[in-house]
Amino acid sequence: MSNHSPGTDTVTYDDDIVKKFIFAALLFGGVAFLVGVIVALQLAYWQFNFDTSWLTFGRLRPLHTNAAIFAFAGNIVFAGIYHSTQRLLKARMFSRALSCIHFWGWQLIIVAAAISLPLGLTTGKEYAELEWPIDIAITLIWVVFAINFFGTLAKRRVQHIYVAIWFYIATIVTVAVLHIVNSLALPVSMMKSYPVFAGIQDALVQWWYGHNAVAFFLTTPFLGLMYYYLPKAVQRPVYSYRLSIIHFWALVFMYIWAGPHHLLNTALPDWAQTLGMIFSVALWAPSWGGMINGLLTLRGAWDKLRTEPVVKFFVAAVTAYGMSTFEGPLLSIKSVSSLGHYTDWIVGHVHVGTLGWNGFMAFGISYYLLPRIWKTQLYSKSMATAHFWVATVGIVLYYISMLSAGITQGLMWRNIDSAGRLVYPDFVETVTKIIPLYQVRVVGGTLFLIGFLIMIYNLFKTAQTAAKDATDETVQVAFKGLPGVEGETGHRKLEGLVTAFTVLTLIAILIGSVLEILPTLNLDKYVAPASKVHPFSPLEIAGRDIYIREGCYVCHSQMIRKMPSDVLRFGEPSTIGESMYDHPFQWGSKRTGPDLSRVGKKYPSLWHFRHMIDPRSISEHSVMPNYPWLASQKVDFYSLRKKLSVLKALGVPYSDDVLGRADVIAEEEARVIAEELKGQGVEGKIEDKDIIALIAYLQALGQKGIKE
Amino acid sequence: MGDSKNLGDHVIEGHDYDGIQELNNPLPAWWLGIFWATCLFGLAYYIYYELAGGPTLDEELQTAMSEIHAVKEEAQAANPTAAPKSDEELNALVSDPAALEKGAQVFQTNCVACHGAKGEGTIGPNLTDDYWIHKKGTMSDIVSLIKTGVPDKGMPPWEAAIAAEDIEKTAAFIVSLKGTNPPNAKAPQGEQVTE
Repeated sequence: MSNHSPGTDTVTYDDDIVKKFIFAALLFGGVAFLVGVIVALQLAYWQFNFDTSWLTFGRLRPLHTNAAIFAFAGNIVFAGIYHSTQRLLKARMFSRALSCIHFWGWQLIIVAAAISLPLGLTTGKEYAELEWPIDIAITLIWVVFAINFFGTLAKRRVQHIYVAIWFYIATIVTVAVLHIVNSLALPVSMMKSYPVFAGIQDALVQWWYGHNAVAFFLTTPFLGLMYYYLPKAVQRPVYSYRLSIIHFWALVFMYIWAGPHHLLNTALPDWAQTLGMIFSVALWAPSWGGMINGLLTLRGAWDKLRTEPVVKFFVAAVTAYGMSTFEGPLLSIKSVSSLGHYTDWIVGHVHVGTLGWNGFMAFGISYYLLPRIWKTQLYSKSMATAHFWVATVGIVLYYISMLSAGITQGLMWRNIDSAGRLVYPDFVETVTKIIPLYQVRVVGGTLFLIGFLIMIYNLFKTAQTAAKDATDETVQVAFKGLPGVEGETGHRKLEGLVTAFTVLTLIAILIGSVLEILPTLNLDKYVAPASKVHPFSPLEIAGRDIYIREGCYVCHSQMIRKMPSDVLRFGEPSTIGESMYDHPFQWGSKRTGPDLSRVGKKYPSLWHFRHMIDPRSISEHSVMPNYPWLASQKVDFYSLRKKLSVLKALGVPYSDDVLGRADVIAEEEARVIAEELKGQGVEGKIEDKDIIALIAYLQALGQKGIKE
Repeated sequence: MGDSKNLGDHVIEGHDYDGIQELNNPLPAWWLGIFWATCLFGLAYYIYYELAGGPTLDEELQTAMSEIHAVKEEAQAANPTAAPKSDEELNALVSDPAALEKGAQVFQTNCVACHGAKGEGTIGPNLTDDYWIHKKGTMSDIVSLIKTGVPDKGMPPWEAAIAAEDIEKTAAFIVSLKGTNPPNAKAPQGEQVTE
């Protein structure tokens, strides 16, 4: 970086790596959207689960979310960062080797996820389902990315870093912190681990991570991309530098506190819920700061909205960002959350962000970048415009159907008649009601996918016209060494001091993190003696792992909120004590089926047996998949000693006697349940099958209280 | 970069990043208004609920539940038909076609999963024979069984889900099933009750 000889440097940008990341984003985007349509179909028509373990909703939904977030959005973010950073800093990427390791490493992680998630190898933590070896790989690749990025900053030929770079810095620093803390776990085997946190700790850490995955993986990097590609596309100066500063620091400082809004009205201590809510509400303006700076940059260039598909995508993306960052604070108000939480409203809300904001930014960037890298013109503008409209209609159908489904179901859940009884006590009735809206959602998702395929065709035709000599771009940069920041003050000075900027960003995100998470690390303080529970028995632990493997938490909560409608429907509100030994917690985030925290002993074991094999033999209109393999697959009794000893190391009080005989105890427990079922006419050798362990776990839910 | 003078804007000198320039427009007043309003709201909310003794979620739930309880009692007082019926009144339902029809409907929705479409018994016991595991199978016995359930044996309480008069009609329907000898009937369980 310290080239002090006067003159001009020749800089060749690495565009090949940009191209690679875009291709990967488009490939995995196709996978993410296709799996999205499949899981949407499964909710509308349960038959699409095909009675096949690796195709059921509980396993495919995590594949869909991981593919959309980390494979599609992740790769487009890397493409945009590698492309824009080099140009904003007038420097080639620090190391071609690191770029390649980053690219191939990330794709290998995606392949590992695509294999392990359908196999049921999961931690059971949303958006962090990948098991520990893959988590370690993610950490290493992220470090490679960070070294490559900060190495490029170190050899930059521009003193001051542009607002896009601020957002990239915040992304790299914060995602590292979030991923490492939320993935802390003790391994049981190569592909099984238990998280170190339990109950409310795990809930808090998980949603601190989960919400900030939205904030720092799907928001800050995309804002950075917006700050580069939008002014480029419309050829206008950014609206307000001042606004950039204020909304950047407000966002990074405040976002990190917002996680508990995913846990409103639950057993999480009130103070944490309140903090989560008020910071979420106050995020409205900082988020809109980005929208304003995006939209008002178009002043004087609005005509391009009519003629340029790229600008259409950017403007719609920023508008979608504005809509979802208004709806987010709204949904974070405790009373609004009491209606919307666990319903499809949340699913609709998220998809305005992912399809509208992330998806349209990604499409805009692809349409903008690829023809430039290929040194040609886009094959067809009208085709790109068609993509825009088809996808827009798709998003509108998706959102309207999910908003209606969510509010309808939320109102049905809470409807109490003049005699003080639930008007819709039968849960499945509230599901049947919204199935038509699930069908509309399939149409919306399919349109989005069709639009995407139009783009792929358009880009493919564009590639055929690529210049033969489309090599990496080379520019001449007048450079006599960085001038330094002497004489500068305030934020402008900070923009010239990358290390100080990064440290301040880190401090900004650590304040909220530490203040919220630290108090709950001493869980005992929050557990009332009367609500202490016994840990799960060995067979119940085996069943719990099956529950996690099948992704039951994707559709069933284990958290009765402090609301009359929840209490009337499911029983007394869940306590902190009840999940104190839950590594991981299983509170869930969506109720496609009923809450299960007090399902234990509610029905006979035979009910569960038949219900798992064919839910419709018990509940005619159920949309739950069949789980026939549970009756043929064997329980892994042998691993239970290891599992319980890992749990004991994490603080679950098992006696040495139980640890030493965990498998024997579990087999005996299984025999008792199997005998009961056989006495009621169930045939075959079932005492060593998964279904027995799962029944044992379900029958234990809500039954572990010490007071009895 | 485009001509910014026609909008009366002035780009900031020295801010040029790969050709991107920056204006320095003031923060829109309405935006600042939202920012301060939401921050003040948060502060006031925190002070009220966490420092000044505003109700906790547990207290709010308690209040709401006691309101529902009061509504329930009021409804019961206002509607004498919901008051406990005498044995004679209950037995009369068994020969009331309208009551049986409603009872059959409730049975189809809530009971067939465990007791079979014709009451022949599957997960739960056969309801058509004259053997009873719990109590003796009179109208009032069945009504109270449905209401409170037998949680240890997997029969859930239905009091909260089904209105009292509908439970009575369902019981009447169950009594009417006696002796129907449906196919695939489950073997008798419990004690034989002879009249």
